[in-house]
Amino acid sequence: MRSDSAPLLAWGCLQLLLGAGLAAFSEGAPALLFLASAAPVLILAAWTRARPPSEEPRLLPGLSVPVVVLAVGAATAAVGLTAGLWLSLVGGEIALFGAVWLGRELREEHR
Amino acid sequence: MASGAAVALPAERAVGWLASTDHKRTAAKVAAASLLFFGLSGILALAMRSELAQPGLQFVSDHTYDELFTMHGSGMIYLFLVPAALGLGLYFVPLQVGAAEVWSPRLALFGFWVYLCGGLAMYSGFLTNTGAGSDTWTATVPLSSSTATPGVGMDLWVIGVALATLGSLLIALTVLLTIVRLRAPGMTMLRLPVFSWAMLATTFMVLASFPVLIVAMGLLLAERHLGGVFTGSTGSIAYQHLFWFYGHPVVYVMFFPFVGAVGEVVATFSRKRFFGYRALVASLLVFTALSMAVWGHHMFVTGAVQNQYFSLTSHLLAVPAGIEYFDLIATMVGGAILLRTPMLFALGFICQFLIGGLTGIIVASPPLDYHVNGSFFIVAHFHYTLFAGSFFGLLAGVHYWFPKVSGAMLREGLGKLSFWLLAIGANVTFFPMFFLGFDGMPRRVPDYAPRLGDLNLLSSIGAGVIALGVLVFLANVWISLRRRVPAGDDPWGAQTLEWATSSPPPRHNFDSLPPIGSHAPLLDRREAEEAAPA
Repeated sequence: MRSDSAPLLAWGCLQLLLGAGLAAFSEGAPALLFLASAAPVLILAAWTRARPPSEEPRLLPGLSVPVVVLAVGAATAAVGLTAGLWLSLVGGEIALFGAVWLGRELREEHR
Repeated sequence: MASGAAVALPAERAVGWLASTDHKRTAAKVAAASLLFFGLSGILALAMRSELAQPGLQFVSDHTYDELFTMHGSGMIYLFLVPAALGLGLYFVPLQVGAAEVWSPRLALFGFWVYLCGGLAMYSGFLTNTGAGSDTWTATVPLSSSTATPGVGMDLWVIGVALATLGSLLIALTVLLTIVRLRAPGMTMLRLPVFSWAMLATTFMVLASFPVLIVAMGLLLAERHLGGVFTGSTGSIAYQHLFWFYGHPVVYVMFFPFVGAVGEVVATFSRKRFFGYRALVASLLVFTALSMAVWGHHMFVTGAVQNQYFSLTSHLLAVPAGIEYFDLIATMVGGAILLRTPMLFALGFICQFLIGGLTGIIVASPPLDYHVNGSFFIVAHFHYTLFAGSFFGLLAGVHYWFPKVSGAMLREGLGKLSFWLLAIGANVTFFPMFFLGFDGMPRRVPDYAPRLGDLNLLSSIGAGVIALGVLVFLANVWISLRRRVPAGDDPWGAQTLEWATSSPPPRHNFDSLPPIGSHAPLLDRREAEEAAPA
């Protein structure tokens, strides 16, 4: 087994064990919630095992303005859920602009 | 004609800083934002203690008091301690594991901006005509429904919490994957430094519990606008399950990173290798798994959880906690202890967190919890864990790593002064609250019986001393950056990889790495040099 995924797998199993303990004590949603919360870490363990880290040098971006635009746009759109549809639309447009810009940045970086 | 050298304009420099993907700059931004929210939430605490200084005072209205304790608690947890803990990891984990960068620097940058926007959304509630969120940091249903707490301010609180939590989750994910995938050759899992192991355990909890809170906030917003989500008596219980499934692990998200930082400080300033490294790693994993299994102890009084299971798992936490304490103390035993400022804060953390931990045994026991639930005893208990414990651990880490980040030493005299002011202030503020709680003073009320006036006055005086201690710390940082005393690469004679590079580290972190044969490679190198024939 690759040591990369071992700690993730170990902790996911511990969580399943405790979830099973709760299921034995009780029934219903709490035990299911607990058992389901092991899923992200087990998925991550499987992904880590399936895709070993690349040995090639990584490209390091110096700065990324579109990421900031995307984040601010998404947050603005979220605040629009209470402030009004107009703000969600403005935020959505900003986020879309940021996403397209980020896509171009990533494409140029990999060229 | 001017020379052809390119000079960055201030605006370009600002954009370069704000959009930089360097993990160290992103972590610095997280630290700056969390410090801002700490300051704001601290001012709210002082306003609360002014209201509570004497019975019958009307320093603020009842509704404003609700806003104060809600935004104080929310700000300190969602916007200060959690991001500060993860920010510490974002800066130092790549350095400790010998990586040139974090996994997905863009994701970390995105996480920071989402967190910042979430914090600003929460605080912008104060600008609305109904005021900021006012339903405690837990937003318990049905009190947080649109009928009981109407207005845009509470909506902004819900959205802000979801955004800030999402930002923290993304930062934690980058830290986790940096440890899992970007370790330097030779840095096996059982050679990770203590702090990195603590961060790994922390990010496990974040990954499992933070998505649940984001979902809970989404459902709460739907409940407030559409209704029909958390209805009836079971709706309230369902919300509490979702909230506390996040709400208890987050306590350890605000604890583990500082256990790790204190572990590094204790080993360095005891001039010894960390005692019981493998036992600590095992205890961290067990602690992490158990911490996911104790949320129901916050719901003992509802009668809707299995008290036996949650009481058992809550009491079991004492075992891994005991192992960690044993390791920390055994590391000091027989060491040549240097009582520099980081070590003082580390000792403060160890002693004061113990009070929070031991009183935790009381609230883990259902019959005792029935008595103290909803009282000031609980306020005292969690302030001993989060302020007298975690905040001291954070300051131990800040004083320890400040030379690495800035290249300058903090002033020892001012550091020790701030430690004593904070230690005295914390105990004068929070210890009387145990007695207030036992005497029946409920939490979250702006007024109380006259017989409780003296202890409340003492507590308010303590809060002022804490504020003074924080100001001395900030003055120390300011003076140390203005009149720099160069730190050098390794001013403490430390043990882990981050001290093998320059202070501050270059963009790519390392020009070269020493051989990695254990969790303390620099100590290995020093011991090899001492053992070598002259």
